[in-house]
Amino acid sequence: MYRFASFCFIVLITIAMDARIEAGAQQPAPTRNPSAAKAKIYFVDLKDGATIPSKVKIRFGIENMEIAPAGTVRPNTGHHHLLIDTGLPPLDQPIPSDFNHIHFGSGQTEAEITLPAGEHTLQLLLGDHAHIPHNPPVVSEIIHVKVDAATVEKTRTPAPAGASVSLVEPVDGATVGRNVTVKFGISGMDLAPAGTSKPNSGHHHLLIDTPLPPLDREIPSDLNHLHFGRAQTETEITLAPGDHTLQLLLGDHEHLPHDPPVYSKVIRIRVANAAPEKAAQAAPKEGRQPSPPDAAVYFVYPTKGESIYPNSTIRFGLRNMGVAPAGIAKPNTGHHHLLIDVDTPPLDQPLPSDLNHVHFGNGQTEKKITLSPGKHTLQLVLADERHIPHDPPVISERIEVFVKIVRKRSRRR
Amino acid sequence: MRHGQFATGLLIVSMIALVPASTPLQIAPAQAAEHTASAPSALVYFHYPLDGLRVPERFTVKIGLKEMGVAPAGVVKPFTGHHHLLIDTDMVPLDQPIPSDYNHIHLGGGQTEVVLTLPQGTHTLQLLLGDHQHVAHQPPVMSKKITIYVR
Repeated sequence: MYRFASFCFIVLITIAMDARIEAGAQQPAPTRNPSAAKAKIYFVDLKDGATIPSKVKIRFGIENMEIAPAGTVRPNTGHHHLLIDTGLPPLDQPIPSDFNHIHFGSGQTEAEITLPAGEHTLQLLLGDHAHIPHNPPVVSEIIHVKVDAATVEKTRTPAPAGASVSLVEPVDGATVGRNVTVKFGISGMDLAPAGTSKPNSGHHHLLIDTPLPPLDREIPSDLNHLHFGRAQTETEITLAPGDHTLQLLLGDHEHLPHDPPVYSKVIRIRVANAAPEKAAQAAPKEGRQPSPPDAAVYFVYPTKGESIYPNSTIRFGLRNMGVAPAGIAKPNTGHHHLLIDVDTPPLDQPLPSDLNHVHFGNGQTEKKITLSPGKHTLQLVLADERHIPHDPPVISERIEVFVKIVRKRSRRR
Repeated sequence: MRHGQFATGLLIVSMIALVPASTPLQIAPAQAAEHTASAPSALVYFHYPLDGLRVPERFTVKIGLKEMGVAPAGVVKPFTGHHHLLIDTDMVPLDQPIPSDYNHIHLGGGQTEVVLTLPQGTHTLQLLLGDHQHVAHQPPVMSKKITIYVR
C-alpha cells in the first residue's frame, strides 16, 4: 500500500516538476534595476565579531547611491533591508518581509533592534522601489555579533496604581482538606493569557511555601511557583498534611512581575490529616476506559539514569494512542500526567493533582520543569478525560534522573 | 511584490489538481476560513528522524510540540491542534484545509508518532499543525523541512 503510494507520488512529483518548469516559463523573473558602479552599503560603527547589548541602535551607511522610500522609482536609489540570521534571499525576487528580513521602506538609515542572547549574523541588502535587489546586488559584508546575555533586558510592564490581587479562597488561617480549591481575585487590572501583551493585564502565579521570587526577572516555573498562563482564576491543588503558605503574584505576558509588582499578602493554611473529599471523588466511578493492547507511553527526554540540568524540558512519547485534552471523551486517547518523586498512585481512581502529579490537560506533550539538584524519579501515566488511568494502564517505567548542580560562573580576579 | 510565492502557489495548485481523483480532497472552500490563533512561541519539531539522517525503509516518525497541546481533529480548544506530516511536498496554502493524501498524512487521532514506509532514496519531511478544521494556525506552526535518506 505504501509502496503504491510512493509510486504514485513519484509520478506526481515528475508531473509536478513539469508543471514547475512550465510555471517558471510563464512567470518571468521581474526585471532588476541596475546598481551604480562602486555602490556600497555598510554598517556604521559596527565591526565584525563585536559584542553588543541586546537592544542596540544600528546605523546603515551608503555610498555612490541614494536612499529613497519604497515605491519611489528613481535610478540609483533603493532602501535598506536588514537580514538577521539568514543568508541572502533569491536576488531576482522581492526580498521577503519577516522577522529575519526587516524592511526600511521609509528610507530609514538607522534602527533600534532587539536581539536575543547568543550569536547572530547581520547583513544589509539594498532593494529597489519594489524590494527587488539591484543588479549586481548591493550588499554589505556579513557581520557576526554576539549579544551579551546579561544585557537582555526585559522591560517590566507598568501596573496601574491601586491594582491588587488576592486569594479569595481559602482564607487566612483556614484548616482545609488535602484537595484545596484556590480561587484568585484581581482588581484594577485584567487577566490575559501568557504571551498576550495587553496593557494593564497579567496572569496569576501561585507561590506555595516559598517567598517572593526576584521581581526583576521571570517568575520560576516549578512545583512551588504554579503558572496560570491561560488566565485561570482558580485551581485545585493537593497539599501534604501540615502548614502551608500561599501567595499570589501577577506576571505579565512574559511571566515578569509588573512595576510596581502586584502580589497578595501571604496566607497560612493548615491541611488536616483526613481526606474528606476522597469519598466524594470515588463516587462517580464509571469504569476505566480500555486502552489498545500495544499502547505505550515513554520518555523521549530524559532517559533512564540521565543527568539533566535543573531547568529541563521533559518530553513525552506515546505509541499507538492519541493525545486529547482533559474533558474530551474519545476512544484510544488520553492526556499525560507526570509523576515526580512519588510512587505509582492507585490506578482505578482519578490521579491526584498536586506538585508531584502534574496534569497536562491541554494536551501538552512536553513541559519545562525545575528540579532541585540530586536524584529524582519521573513516571508518565496516561489517563482519560476524567484523569482516570486506562485499563490496562498506559504507564511508563519509573525512571531515575540526576539533576546536576550548575555552578554559577564566578568572576575571577 | 510576491511573485515568488505566487509561482509556488501555481505549482501547488497544479499538483493538487493532479492528485488522483479518488483521494478525499477538499479543494479550497471559497470562503476565507477563520484562523485559529497559535500560541506565541509554539514550535513543532521532529524528535526523530533528524535532518540528514539515514533511516531504514520502515521507521517511526516522532513528533514534538512546544507551548501548545495536541487534540484530536474536531476538538475546538484554544492552543491545541493535531499534527500533519508532509512527505516529499512543498508547504501547502495556509489558508485552506490541509489536503489529505499520500503526501499529507493527517494524525487526526491526536497521535504524536507515526510509522512510515518509504522507498529507498532521498525524501523530505515537514510537520504542520492544523486546527480542528485541518487549517493551519495563525501564525502557522510548522517545522523546517528535513531531508532523510532511506537506505
